[in-house]
Amino acid sequence: MNLDTVTLEVIRNALPAVANEMAADLQRTSYNMMIYEVRDYCTALLNTKGELISQNVGGVSHFVADLGVLVVDGLQRYGKDGFKPGDVIITNHQAVAGQHLNNVVIYMPYFYKGELLMFLMVRAHWIDVGGSSTGFGAGATVADPWLEGLQLDQLKIYEEGKLSEPLYRVIKDNIRFPESSLGDMKSQMAACRLGGRRLDELFDKYGRETLLAAIDHIFDETEQRCRNVVSKLPDGIYEASSSIDDDGVLKGEEVPIHVKVTVKSGSMIIDLSGCSAERKAAINSRTYAGARVAYKALTGPLDPVNEGSFRALDVVIPEGNIMMARFPAPMSGWSGIVPTVVDCIVGALAKAMPDRVPAGHHALLGGAVVFFGTHPKTKRRFVVQSIEGGGWGGRPFEDGESGTVSVCQGDVRNGSIEGIELKCPVVIESRELRPDSCGAGKYRGGLGIDVRVRNLVEGKWNFEMPRRSKRPPWGIRGGTPGEPGGYLLKLPGEKQFTMRGGSHIPVPIGSEAIVRTGGGGGWGRPQDRDAAIVANDVAEGFISAAAARKLYGVALRGNLSLDEAATKLLRKRLGSASKAKPTAQVKPKAAKKTKRAKKTKKAKGKSHR
Amino acid sequence: MINCLKESGIDAGKIDELIHGSTTAINTLIERKGAKTALLVTRGTRDVYIIGRGNRPEAYNLFFHRHKPLVSRRHTMEIAERLLGTGEVHEPLNKANVAAACKELKDEGIEAVAVCFLHAYANPEHERIAGAMIRKALPGVYLSLSHDILREYREFERMSTTVVNAYIGPKVGGYVKGLKASLNRIGFKGDLSIMRSNGGVMTPEVATEKPVAMMESGPVGGIIASAQVGLALGFPNVICFDMGGTTAKASLIREGEPTLAPGYYVGGYASGHPVMLPMIDVVEVGAGGGSIAWRDDVGALKVGPQSAGADPGPICYRGGGTEATITDANVALGRLDPDNFLGGTMKLDAEGAKRGIKSKIADPLKLDTIAAAQAIVEIAINKMSLAVREVSVAKGYDPRDFALVASGGAGPLHVCAIARELYIPTVIVPLFPSHFSALGMLLADERHDFTRTVYSDLANVDFGKLVTVHDEMVKEAKESLRHATNSVFQIQLDIRYVGQEFTLSVPVELEQLKRGDRQAIRTAFDQLYEHRYAHHSPDEPVEMVNIRLGAIGKRPKLNFPSVTAGGAAAPTGERQAYFTSASEPLTAKVYRRDQLGAGAEIAGPALIQEHGTTTVLFERDTCRVAPSGELIITLGAVR
Repeated sequence: MNLDTVTLEVIRNALPAVANEMAADLQRTSYNMMIYEVRDYCTALLNTKGELISQNVGGVSHFVADLGVLVVDGLQRYGKDGFKPGDVIITNHQAVAGQHLNNVVIYMPYFYKGELLMFLMVRAHWIDVGGSSTGFGAGATVADPWLEGLQLDQLKIYEEGKLSEPLYRVIKDNIRFPESSLGDMKSQMAACRLGGRRLDELFDKYGRETLLAAIDHIFDETEQRCRNVVSKLPDGIYEASSSIDDDGVLKGEEVPIHVKVTVKSGSMIIDLSGCSAERKAAINSRTYAGARVAYKALTGPLDPVNEGSFRALDVVIPEGNIMMARFPAPMSGWSGIVPTVVDCIVGALAKAMPDRVPAGHHALLGGAVVFFGTHPKTKRRFVVQSIEGGGWGGRPFEDGESGTVSVCQGDVRNGSIEGIELKCPVVIESRELRPDSCGAGKYRGGLGIDVRVRNLVEGKWNFEMPRRSKRPPWGIRGGTPGEPGGYLLKLPGEKQFTMRGGSHIPVPIGSEAIVRTGGGGGWGRPQDRDAAIVANDVAEGFISAAAARKLYGVALRGNLSLDEAATKLLRKRLGSASKAKPTAQVKPKAAKKTKRAKKTKKAKGKSHR
Repeated sequence: MINCLKESGIDAGKIDELIHGSTTAINTLIERKGAKTALLVTRGTRDVYIIGRGNRPEAYNLFFHRHKPLVSRRHTMEIAERLLGTGEVHEPLNKANVAAACKELKDEGIEAVAVCFLHAYANPEHERIAGAMIRKALPGVYLSLSHDILREYREFERMSTTVVNAYIGPKVGGYVKGLKASLNRIGFKGDLSIMRSNGGVMTPEVATEKPVAMMESGPVGGIIASAQVGLALGFPNVICFDMGGTTAKASLIREGEPTLAPGYYVGGYASGHPVMLPMIDVVEVGAGGGSIAWRDDVGALKVGPQSAGADPGPICYRGGGTEATITDANVALGRLDPDNFLGGTMKLDAEGAKRGIKSKIADPLKLDTIAAAQAIVEIAINKMSLAVREVSVAKGYDPRDFALVASGGAGPLHVCAIARELYIPTVIVPLFPSHFSALGMLLADERHDFTRTVYSDLANVDFGKLVTVHDEMVKEAKESLRHATNSVFQIQLDIRYVGQEFTLSVPVELEQLKRGDRQAIRTAFDQLYEHRYAHHSPDEPVEMVNIRLGAIGKRPKLNFPSVTAGGAAAPTGERQAYFTSASEPLTAKVYRRDQLGAGAEIAGPALIQEHGTTTVLFERDTCRVAPSGELIITLGAVR
């Protein structure tokens, strides 16, 4: 097939545009903030091998290239001839999908001139799928998928254009906000149809042969682009580890995260075998997201995603691993550990690419605000939902950003205070940066935030989010760690806030909760930070005068002006002390030359039933 | 500008009306040369302006940047006060707090103050009281109250818009006042109007208070002119396409009205400052005459967004440029006449252009030079077509129902190819396409936009209240309108299905509000929804969020002299040039536009040259000169 330069470039631009147009359509017509603010969805085109042709950009990153297993599974169930024009399939079953049940996939087969060529797919977070799934999803303490919610296993909700009434009614009767979720289902279908119309135009214009050949070519060149980046890294094995405080069920038992990255002449192997085995707690998943998000961030963060984006990457996750858990291991908190995994992979490579690796970030999927109940006057159910960002790590040439969502979330927006208060009976008392929550460094981390919510009617809180207080966001090259986040609650009559956890916690009118996010780690030694900038940080209220003195060796006068003489003295003392005590939390192992990439068992995301 | 007037020899005293468009506002922000600004906010929200929405639109980028605040944190003061969404006072305004803040700001030498309290859109009383205190305590300091700038919920976006206004206020306000004074000094007694981003004009007084409204007035002129030209020629639905040296812009006009977007992000969505004031909806892509063609690390051919600009410029400009640009490709293809550029005042280096294309693009791609030049132009055309699609197809409009109006120095060169790509049947090339923007400004009406958040189920909405709010906005509009006698008011309600976030702005009549005609409004919403998203749900409850008022002061339209009718078009010569195929050149007739009389007809392949641009007609395209001088091109059916 002879593909000319122009046709290739045009198709290269057109395919991501289809997925992006589907995403814009979904987002603007959706009914729940998980889609229109949190952008907890993905839209994609896949071929009949399950290969990703294009996916929207900008939404949550952990959905990257994760729909292929569903196509492969669907084809096994129905066969290629089992799909007909007008079919709409709905699925969220964890044996294959491997995520929490709120992430409901709607997909349609795409036929061109009677031939099944592609699938149009939209995965989106429904606000409720029954069970204990309300809001961001059920917590880590849900024992199994049946308690979590409704399981839908590759079912045709429309068959050749005809609605399956019984299935529709089963769904409607078993979820709490049917008008919202079934509205979202409609939007998901509309987005798929829109994608189909755009594909028709492309096939009509370029013809079947040219378009399919161009797609293969685009996969190849995308792969080559990634290899070009990785081939610049020194070959070697790079490792890093962290941990989650506990899984929410076995209190106090750390959940280990360990990554091993092997770089060898342009290829990369990310081995997650060292992470925890699957847990009884619902923080399991079946996902390559941790490895893929990190790889994407390193190889081509601003390029569109397709199957070629990950061909030069091998991900090793054995069956029974926390990220390759076997049905019916509970998965309702599936994505909680993923940002920490990403951060470890990026951190491991700090040795290989010192100018491109920031210190650790808050590494949690934002501070989730979830308060829900029924308004006593209107009798309407309400859910307050927002995702609050935290601090990012200092970078090799500048400070980390404050109050920003994790690496697994992209264009995820917090709920506006006014918007929340217009819809729900709460007062958001504050949304503020937390001074001194950042790690210190030549380039300091970003600040975490506190959001304080007072409820005007009684309701329930979900305080579910993995915590990393034992392994807070690390500093690198002498930077100090950031402060971890958490949840605090103060009931009426109480004088102080206390740390809390758990889900469905009932609170009376007038209680106050604080949703706290962590700060980012620092990059480089704090005493190397320009003293004038430290003084400015104090004047701006980002750090306290005490922290300036203790961590940075910067002395300020009463009017916050810099006391240069005292600073010189303090820094001299700090300099000798810091040599004795390194502060880095993650110590990438010295890059060892690989003789041969260790023989690895590669886990495929197959179904197990 | 004053010098320009003086040199032109025009008697300033005889000018009735002067319309001024300026980049002062946007430049003050982009260059960060605004005032030392402070921000007063509700207690607990000091960091809302820094935190924004917490998002990272570049999802995989570990080195992303958030917007860079225009106010430092130490100059952001919290005031004890609290309103609820209903507008009721939850905690009264603490005046002692305001007084203390004023004192501190005075000591700090603050030049501008923005005030943004939570829910001030619903009840502006606290902002008004604080504003009065600030005016009194800090005379001469520029003040912006959020409810005056944008009366709509979503605190971060309102805060950002208000801060931008305060930040650029002193400088832009001073500029406008200075301009007025200078004009008066040279004897100008007419009306001075300032162009604004919504496609209308405003008085210097309004511009001084709301300079943020003139932020994006640059591209607006050409869009207004396109609308007027379209109307005059019987094409009320047009898409305007403007292509200059670095970018191309597309915008859609329906029934003679430009489409408005509710706001935009100065500096881009990922890291920019939200300014939520209505502006003409423009989609811009990095493709202009100076855009550079390049190969990426796996050999794919790309065009733009890097531009050679005017300096060094394209290779053929002989200014030292070494990168092949879109202009070089057009010269290589013979579409641009090297001896007739800018009326022949600038000789282009065609051989240099070809050599550059050969060495940088053709040889590495194993193409011949002409094929490479053709590829550069076609990739640029595809990119620009995506922009035209974005304003039409993506919004539910079929481009086949529109005419494409070309402007800018490079617009007429590419417009027919873009029209063909999108099946647009008709192309209009107006008179003076490279100076179209200034013409458009002369045609602009006065326009002011107002919004109030009124949050209610449509089923329970209090229409009496809506009419009251409407009347308040009309009253406010009349205070700003210079030509209030000849004014038109357009009302829209922002409506959505209960549970959704994004709204559609549904046009409604005042009579419908007075009658409380829920059904008509509901039907209009469902129809609009169906048009935009291709599905709708008539049984589901809907709610309204905002009421909007567009106040338009109509101004008399200009009449241009018609072109004298001439006989058949006579070519001035012939040239070999490449059109649809890069394998063989065709012999194209060359015309001089100023020699074409009304009614003249031309068949492609042809090149119509004028001072600032060349119109390219492909094989089977035909062109007729309108009585008023525009070229009206009918596209040949074949792609």
